Amino acid sequence: MAFQMTRRSFLQASATAALTTALSGWLASGAKAQSGFVKKPFTAPGSFGNTTTVTGGICEMCFWRCQLVGKLRDGKLVKLEGNPKSVDNGASLCARGNAGVKLLYDQDRLKFPLKNVGKRGAPVWKKISWDEALDECAARLQGVIKNNGPQGIAIFPHGASATYPMHYFEHVVGTPNNSEASFFQCRGPRDIAYINTFGVEAGESVDMPNAKAILLIGTHIGENIHVSQVKQYLKGLENGAKLIVVDPRFSASAAKADIWVQIKPGTDSAFLLAIMNYLVKKGAYDKAYVQKNGEGFDKFAKAIAHAELEWAAKICDVSAAQIKEVADLLAKSAPHVSVHPGRHVTWYGNDFQRERALACLTGLLGAIGVKGGFVKAKGPKLGKVAWPDIGVEHAEQFALHKMAEKHKFSPPGTPTEMLRNTAISGKPYSIKACVIWGQNPIQTIPGQQETIKMLQQMDFVLVVDLMPTDITMYADILLPELSYLERYDIVKTGVQWDFNDKHQQYIAPRMPLVSQVSADHQRKDSVWITNELAKRLGHAKHIPAPSAEAMVDKILAAANLTLAQIKKEDGIHLQPGSNPYGAVYPIKFFNEDLAEAGYSGAPNYTPVPEPPQGFARLVYGRVPVHTFNRTMNNVWLNAEIPENPIWLSEETAHKLGLKSGDKVNLVNQDGVVSANAVTLKVTQGIRKDTIFTAHGYGTKNPAMTNAVNKGFDEQSLITNPAVDPETGAHGMRTSFVRIMKDGKILNIPS
Amino acid sequence: MTNSKTRTPAALYYFLAQSFRYPEQAWLCEPYFDLLDSIVQNLDLNNDALWLRQSYCANQEGLEILQIEHTRLFINAHPAVIAPPYSSVYLDQEGNLFGPSAVWVRKFYQQHGFELSGEGDIPDHLVLELDFIALLLDEGLYDEAEQFLNEHFRKWFPLFKKRVLSGSTNKFYYTLLTLVDFFTQEEP
Repeated sequence: MAFQMTRRSFLQASATAALTTALSGWLASGAKAQSGFVKKPFTAPGSFGNTTTVTGGICEMCFWRCQLVGKLRDGKLVKLEGNPKSVDNGASLCARGNAGVKLLYDQDRLKFPLKNVGKRGAPVWKKISWDEALDECAARLQGVIKNNGPQGIAIFPHGASATYPMHYFEHVVGTPNNSEASFFQCRGPRDIAYINTFGVEAGESVDMPNAKAILLIGTHIGENIHVSQVKQYLKGLENGAKLIVVDPRFSASAAKADIWVQIKPGTDSAFLLAIMNYLVKKGAYDKAYVQKNGEGFDKFAKAIAHAELEWAAKICDVSAAQIKEVADLLAKSAPHVSVHPGRHVTWYGNDFQRERALACLTGLLGAIGVKGGFVKAKGPKLGKVAWPDIGVEHAEQFALHKMAEKHKFSPPGTPTEMLRNTAISGKPYSIKACVIWGQNPIQTIPGQQETIKMLQQMDFVLVVDLMPTDITMYADILLPELSYLERYDIVKTGVQWDFNDKHQQYIAPRMPLVSQVSADHQRKDSVWITNELAKRLGHAKHIPAPSAEAMVDKILAAANLTLAQIKKEDGIHLQPGSNPYGAVYPIKFFNEDLAEAGYSGAPNYTPVPEPPQGFARLVYGRVPVHTFNRTMNNVWLNAEIPENPIWLSEETAHKLGLKSGDKVNLVNQDGVVSANAVTLKVTQGIRKDTIFTAHGYGTKNPAMTNAVNKGFDEQSLITNPAVDPETGAHGMRTSFVRIMKDGKILNIPS
Repeated sequence: MTNSKTRTPAALYYFLAQSFRYPEQAWLCEPYFDLLDSIVQNLDLNNDALWLRQSYCANQEGLEILQIEHTRLFINAHPAVIAPPYSSVYLDQEGNLFGPSAVWVRKFYQQHGFELSGEGDIPDHLVLELDFIALLLDEGLYDEAEQFLNEHFRKWFPLFKKRVLSGSTNKFYYTLLTLVDFFTQEEP
């Protein structure tokens, strides 16, 4: 457009006639919104003016939940720090914790309820009101309940905010089809294995600061950062603990190890059986503890009697002498041994038995309730806010693994593989709605094409999230959630990080550090969203808490506390704790329940498929600045480690003519090529039969503008997941890959 | 907040600010298009105003198209938002919201006696900045408005406009961006 006049002349002319009439007409019509300002006289603040410290933050850049304070300058969050009152992380935060500021102000965050007026997978978004969004969700969920029953709804929750809606759908609506990534793609086999050995959950309850030896199987502390755990680990090393690291890769932990066992992937159980058999045969175990607390020890000893050092050495591709060295060191250090249960343990589909082996080894060493051993902290008691169980009976009848009499030791919920297969096949019943809350099933669950098939056959898909992750592209309705910096939700509890220090318990509810309300968005917390759905689905009378704030207050009431009180106490309530040592657990060396259910009653080793000729096994782990796929778009963290490197052994690289810095892709056994070429890291620190990368990259949603086209999603290559027979959890280190450079596929020499 | 006797220039900027709010029937009404028509005619622009009125005034289908376009351009979109309407995205290195330029803007507001009404509001949203210019003009603070335009607004608006136009052929936003440009660009 070419203007015939200047602004100045226009404004002079505009004082007259038609325009003036139009202007006053418009102003008088009331169609103009209120401006977003109030008048306030200016007072010069000085250089540090208006900076305040807000307490009560609980981090959720990962799920360790460090306690935070926020530094606010004039309403803008400028910095996050550890809460100096914390007896857990203290004043420390990791890189991710610091970078929370950048999540808060990420330009790509979801802002308003959105309706997909395009297609699933290729959405066209329209901003809609909360009322419209909730009405539509309720109507469409109601439709599925009417046609298919409550079991026709599947839920995929993750994170603190997802707990409340998850319980609503399970307990009130009555669906058993809950696939929690934290169980079925992470720690389910660990927790169930320990419960079926000691009777208590594993957690990461090892007293590393006081250990004489620490055994890590695959656990790579240092690349995996949970602040208080890192403190415990380093304190243990500082105090002289011997560190044994079993890993095909020279991890950050292996770099600090006294013994690094460069094991062949998939064979850890054989390694553990051989150690236990050696200790049993040699009588180098805690006989008194085992006699007093062990169950089925003789059957166990008999079942593992075949596991000689030489047998394991061959399977694990390490020397018998090294296995013996590890066993002797453990025996010598007993009972002050931290046998770390691990965290992400869904590796090969034989994981429950490996975790059983870790628990049994802990028992053999008598490393329970003693300094340096498996010690559960004695935390504070709190109240509960729970939906009534009106739908649970219905849900139980339709639990797929129970109907099929499979995975009899499943963690709570329904094994993902069964749920997805049922949704795709419609057998034994239809699953036609999907509620995805804080989870990104595209990147958490192996077999992406099946997941997409599952989504495409749904009548309705609801996604609630912070960021436009991959899964959000498949939503019909997409709801924006408040972040952990803006909401109330969980109450974090625990004790001081080092049991040598004064025994203290802490209670720290998550409280907002910044305003929940802004003209720039209409994000809501999960309690509000769930309650509004429940009202529309006829469950108003069952709502256990009217708001997130009220929920937290109810939880605190059982400890005679209130949010107001904890605010006065700078976000953390401290109270005297008690000595955690001395606990005694019965140890089911041979578990009769397992045997009766048709599984091995003693820990066993099931071989896993070998890489075909020309392929190496793909294993994955973490980098210290990212959490799964949640942090990849964060500008600070993205700048630190923008893409996942591929680790390749020096010998292989030499034979293939590759060098560090080359840009390569991976191609798996089914011909799937990784999305973006990434930088090759050539190293002596990995086995020839193994290729390593980091998880949590390669979003396919271009709406993640910082992360897109950087790194690759290794989950896209995991097209042949295993399923753990006892728990139904996935095994995901099952893929075999070759290298592709400049479009040419290179075989991995054997 | 608006004075009971809003001056003409101020009203024009209020109008421009309003035009970048989420499209709703409540404001995309006859008086709105009367004014748009009048401005466009006074400027001797090609008369798109009539077409715009027909397309979007009390036209449910047209309104929805505009809502989807607004969502795609400024809120959340697939494959990606075309042009987040915040100065930080264009001026600050990291491309996050609430960067240094937003902090500068808020300070400028404060120094001229204005505070954002919501404590969580992000200061450098296009609508807020246009509203702020209107508030200054309403108080007769012409030099201050010129200073704001010169030291801040003109640094990012052209970049923003370019991004919208490179990703959209929507006539409504094309017209409104042209008007904002006309009413904010530097003149000899």
